[in-house]
Amino acid sequence: MLFPILAQSQVKSKLWYDGNARVMYNRDALEGTLKETDTVSTRSNGEGFTILDLGFHFTPVDDIEISSEIRLKNDFGGMWGNKSYVELRRLSAKGVVNNKIAFSVGDIYLKQTKFTLYNYEQELSEYEPSVFKFYRDFVNYENYYQSNYWRLQGVQTNFSYNMYNFIEQLDFDAFATRIRGLEWLGKPELLMLGGSAVVTLSNKINLGSHYVNTFEVLSSSNGTVAYYNPVFNTQLSYSGSLKDIPYKMLLEGGFSKRGWDGDSLAPEIKGYFTKVTINAKGKKGEINLGFRYVDTDFRSIGSQTRRIDNNNITTTYPYYSNDYTQRKVSVLDMMSDPNVYNQNLSTSLMTYNPMYSSVSPYGDATPNRIGLTAEIDNLDLTDFLSAKIQTQYFSEIIGQGTIHKRSFNKSALHSLLFLDKLLSLNKHLSLEGSINLETVKRDGDDFEKIDFNSILYSGSISYELIKNLKIIAGAKVFYVEGNEFIAERDMYDQINDYLNNIYDSKETILIGGLQHHFTDDIYFTMQYNQFNVLDKTNTYDEFSLGRLIFMFNMNL
Amino acid sequence: MKKLKFLLLLAPFFFASCEKEKIEGPSLNDLYGELNILESLSIVGDSADFSIGESIYFTASFSKQVDWIIRIKGINSGSVKIITGKSNAINQTNSLWNGSSTQLPFFIAEDCDLELMFEIHDDTILDKLNIESPKLYNTENTVLITDFENGFNPNFTGFFQAGCTKSLVTNGAGEGNKYLAQYGTCDWDWLIGYVDYFSDYWYDQEDLVNDPTKLYFNIMINGASTISDVSNLPNSLFKLEFYEDENGDDYYDASSEDRYDYEFDVDWTGWRMISICYNDLIPPSSNAGDGVKEPSKIFKVRTLLLANPESGFAKADVDFLIWSFNSPILD
Repeated sequence: MLFPILAQSQVKSKLWYDGNARVMYNRDALEGTLKETDTVSTRSNGEGFTILDLGFHFTPVDDIEISSEIRLKNDFGGMWGNKSYVELRRLSAKGVVNNKIAFSVGDIYLKQTKFTLYNYEQELSEYEPSVFKFYRDFVNYENYYQSNYWRLQGVQTNFSYNMYNFIEQLDFDAFATRIRGLEWLGKPELLMLGGSAVVTLSNKINLGSHYVNTFEVLSSSNGTVAYYNPVFNTQLSYSGSLKDIPYKMLLEGGFSKRGWDGDSLAPEIKGYFTKVTINAKGKKGEINLGFRYVDTDFRSIGSQTRRIDNNNITTTYPYYSNDYTQRKVSVLDMMSDPNVYNQNLSTSLMTYNPMYSSVSPYGDATPNRIGLTAEIDNLDLTDFLSAKIQTQYFSEIIGQGTIHKRSFNKSALHSLLFLDKLLSLNKHLSLEGSINLETVKRDGDDFEKIDFNSILYSGSISYELIKNLKIIAGAKVFYVEGNEFIAERDMYDQINDYLNNIYDSKETILIGGLQHHFTDDIYFTMQYNQFNVLDKTNTYDEFSLGRLIFMFNMNL
Repeated sequence: MKKLKFLLLLAPFFFASCEKEKIEGPSLNDLYGELNILESLSIVGDSADFSIGESIYFTASFSKQVDWIIRIKGINSGSVKIITGKSNAINQTNSLWNGSSTQLPFFIAEDCDLELMFEIHDDTILDKLNIESPKLYNTENTVLITDFENGFNPNFTGFFQAGCTKSLVTNGAGEGNKYLAQYGTCDWDWLIGYVDYFSDYWYDQEDLVNDPTKLYFNIMINGASTISDVSNLPNSLFKLEFYEDENGDDYYDASSEDRYDYEFDVDWTGWRMISICYNDLIPPSSNAGDGVKEPSKIFKVRTLLLANPESGFAKADVDFLIWSFNSPILD
């Protein structure tokens, strides 16, 4: 059926296509003591599917492109159309007016600054060894996460002027999106409007202002209360060179307001932030130094919405043990389960699990933080060994429930060793390792003290058996111990209580198998994975799982 | 340009230096901290003469905000005063006591047991205090109908069914020494008995305020938690009827003048003060008056004790019928 279209695209070049094809099958089986003690859950279960996401791009005139993406999905086990699905994944149009003003409508990907609109990476994904990348790609693709953009529906336009005088260039960008549509007898429509104006004064100085306003349209419901959250961000950057080392300084600041019109009980809170970073690129690596201050009352729906929603139910064994306990989202789910992720912007601070992210659960926009950051990237120690390292020290600006403030440390180290270069081997052999560490401390009396540590060790080895076919193995071991308070918030995000959680657990992920790359974007992998979640506080039963997985991925 | 770069670097620190002093959220100390008494309980103004407007207050301080309860119990009268608060300090502002009661009867000149208790925490602090002279409730802001201390005024007429009792009793009163006991069983009628308190014979003859929103009727009622054998509901039903003489002819004409009612179950044991704002009274469906509440035209107050004839014994003794202006008598 597609042949005429393809033929036409080749002849007139007005229709072209791209997309993604994926075949995946996994079989999960309970392991360890759980296999004997859990008489309720199935011993094993498996699922698989074939997905073809076909992207069509139609260019009726030179300045217009209409794009759509159709998903064809066939779950394994169906026959004659049963368990087969056809759905629209994307529909958008973009174009240029008079070669000056670009626009996009429909499904659009938007990103602004880290404090106005930004889709931060999920926790524990930083410095992840590359053998786990296929899982990460799968999760991000299924949730429409393209780098740090949020996928929204609406209209966006941008244009720029080159002026060739003191002001070299002016760039403007504006968008209007609908975050939440009409709900019958429900909440009003939620819209987000935003815009940016960036002035390039010279090659060295850029001055930009960014504004996002998210608000409910009161007239679209029968209610009397409407949410609003405008956020403003100004950035000033300077690029220079010191002793032939190029550097860039970025100073930014801004403020937010959040409230509910028509609700006398709702507080209107205002918060501000400021950040300065210095980036310098040397021959051996790249250094980033930064300072960040984010007010306790800073609220930004676009930058504080989290990817992982801890309230979502896991796909793999959502309930287990004879008590039919709901399984909490763990490292294994964050790594491999697209269903624990969130695609919608949240008007309130989403809950998070301090086990996995206690320092910056809302990225750089995490409220109530002041501190310093340092990062060395792409540090090439030798031609066979490279590393990157980062560390962050923060403190709360005001204490939560006490005058004593939490102090935070988040550090990470990643190194990549090319053993083939070191040992002069013909075939590719590399070793990767990383450590992610988080600590939280708070002094005071016994009832308010915090002493929390989490650490994730990750490692992998990859050896090329024959050309492009690698044998891979990887491990992640996550430890957490100590205590941390979780703030319980009301519907206005105001803290009304605390839960002092005690942690002492260990999670292990082991993977091993084969991976063959036809090209960078076309590969298959076949692996055996082993997962174990052990809660030493005995709040939850030990969970052990083995998984046989096959995945074929092809980016068209 | 170097100065500009320097300023760029310093600017964020300038903003960040504007640190806030408060804490975010409720205090952890208040929620989970240990309670320590930093300053022990003190009584300021012990042996107060409440009759001349003296008062007592208490002082103490704690290591955290806590829900505290001060309970003062008259050793002889059995009257109880409860003062509550949530704070980390007890002081004149939150513990001032003018001699009033929370649970009847009223205090008399007596020694009292004092308890300071805390919610959630088991700690209790005990002490004693003395009342030299009790609070006087009949003031320029009240109009006393009767407290029965001078006997039962024979001009207060009424009716009690045969076999039912209305009698003046000494000792055990809600206020003073005497009260009117009302009880009995009537198996042929809802009415046990009623008493008409005509305004011409009230103890105080001062005028009532004519604003119904500022006038409160107060009556002490001694219940016995009588429960119906039939319905398993409270058996004693008490009704108040207020009759207005609209045309001033010293007669209530049911065909043209106002009557307002208020009724309630007597489902408690012991004395309790019932207070009702005149503005909250409801006219019966048969009310033939103009429906305008005019307290200055009150002709009489009728108190009725009622009970389901199938259900047995009912009891509601009364004492200290008094009007108060602007607030209930125990406010």
